[in-house]
Amino acid sequence: MSRFCVLLAWAFLAHLGLGAAQQDQKCCGPIVPRREWKALASECVQKLELPVRYVVVSHTAGSSCDTPALCMQQAQNVQNYHARTLGFCDVGYNFLIGEDGLVYEGRGWNIKGDHTGRFWNPMSIGITFMGNYMERSPPPRALRAAKSLLACGVAQGALSSNYEVKGHRDVQKTLSPGDQLYEIIRTWPDYHE
Amino acid sequence: MRKVRLQGLLFVFFISELQAAAKSAEEKFVLREGQTFTVNCYFSIWQYLNSRKAWQRLTDGGERLTLALIDKASGGPSQVQVGRCFLEEISDEGILHVQMTNLRVEDSGLYECVIDQHPKAKDHPILFHHPVRLVVTKDPSDTPASDKTPSQNKAQVPTRPHVTTKTQSILHTSPRTVTQFLPMVTASLSSPGLGVTPTQRTDVIRISLISIVVFVVCGILSKSLVFTVLLVVTQRSFGSRPVNPQK
Repeated sequence: MSRFCVLLAWAFLAHLGLGAAQQDQKCCGPIVPRREWKALASECVQKLELPVRYVVVSHTAGSSCDTPALCMQQAQNVQNYHARTLGFCDVGYNFLIGEDGLVYEGRGWNIKGDHTGRFWNPMSIGITFMGNYMERSPPPRALRAAKSLLACGVAQGALSSNYEVKGHRDVQKTLSPGDQLYEIIRTWPDYHE
Repeated sequence: MRKVRLQGLLFVFFISELQAAAKSAEEKFVLREGQTFTVNCYFSIWQYLNSRKAWQRLTDGGERLTLALIDKASGGPSQVQVGRCFLEEISDEGILHVQMTNLRVEDSGLYECVIDQHPKAKDHPILFHHPVRLVVTKDPSDTPASDKTPSQNKAQVPTRPHVTTKTQSILHTSPRTVTQFLPMVTASLSSPGLGVTPTQRTDVIRISLISIVVFVVCGILSKSLVFTVLLVVTQRSFGSRPVNPQK
């Protein structure tokens, strides 16, 4: 009996260890496609080399939105500001997260974003939370949507399995993603300074 | 006797893999004499913009040797050259760019990018970026074979963005990618020593081990402890049938 106990103990501990190490490989959650939020056509051509090892989390520092209708409008606003006012080829972020708990497709997994500096953009996926998170936090459903998006990225091979999350203020001189959101992402297991 | 040996072997494998997983990942670079080593260490601008940043070597005796230091907050330059070490801080992007030129075999060892926050904290600097294991060889044919199982690690890409193409980097196990020890253990289980003596005892060992492996793998794939419970139940009922020689 002791022999079996030894082997069982080993098997159980191995299982626990691997269980803790593995990421949750769920099917990819819903992402609101560009067409649906009435995005302007992208003029970007520079691709990202996949898989990408870094994710940069920012906030738009603008208005937040808590319904799909409002967030659709807000996504358009952000894109207009980037494309028309700043002259970018498209909205700068790869993905946008709304307080409605939905993920909005920006440049997506394959196109290089314009969300941080020239060194980090080709090396990272930029996700932004629509709103200003200096004084308040995004609701749990928005954080869930972001985490689900990142798990999806790994599942699709767009993100390395050992990807690292960084706050926008870690890689650029900025207040983004806001004090509250920064403190939250610092607790994420994939966060590395 | 064979059973005890096998148990011991399995435990040794398990413990050694636990230890390997617990160690922080080193980044290994293998270069030849005369070549230039380059690495980009990333620091958090928010946390460490005004901190001193250093490139340090860890000696075998556990001592820290600062090879070069950048202290922009005190008015120092953003580029520093000390001997064959060149350091540049790109503050706007949070990058400490490190270069060691004209490498020699004696340069082989363990290096770290550290934040040197306080004169008193010299013994406990904050590490940013993985420790760098530099191996400098004399001859191309002397390049040492990898000591781990590199084929198990997905992150082994020679063209990582922040490393020049002159270097090869092999990222060792990080605590999260523990998947490499399972193939190692299954290899040990399928070794020829198992099924040699055709006694009923050895058959029981072989069958139960295989079933254990199958259950563990199923448990892993399904991410459920139910399988582990099934394992317990199955082994209990299976183990009670043949004669237990230890009693």
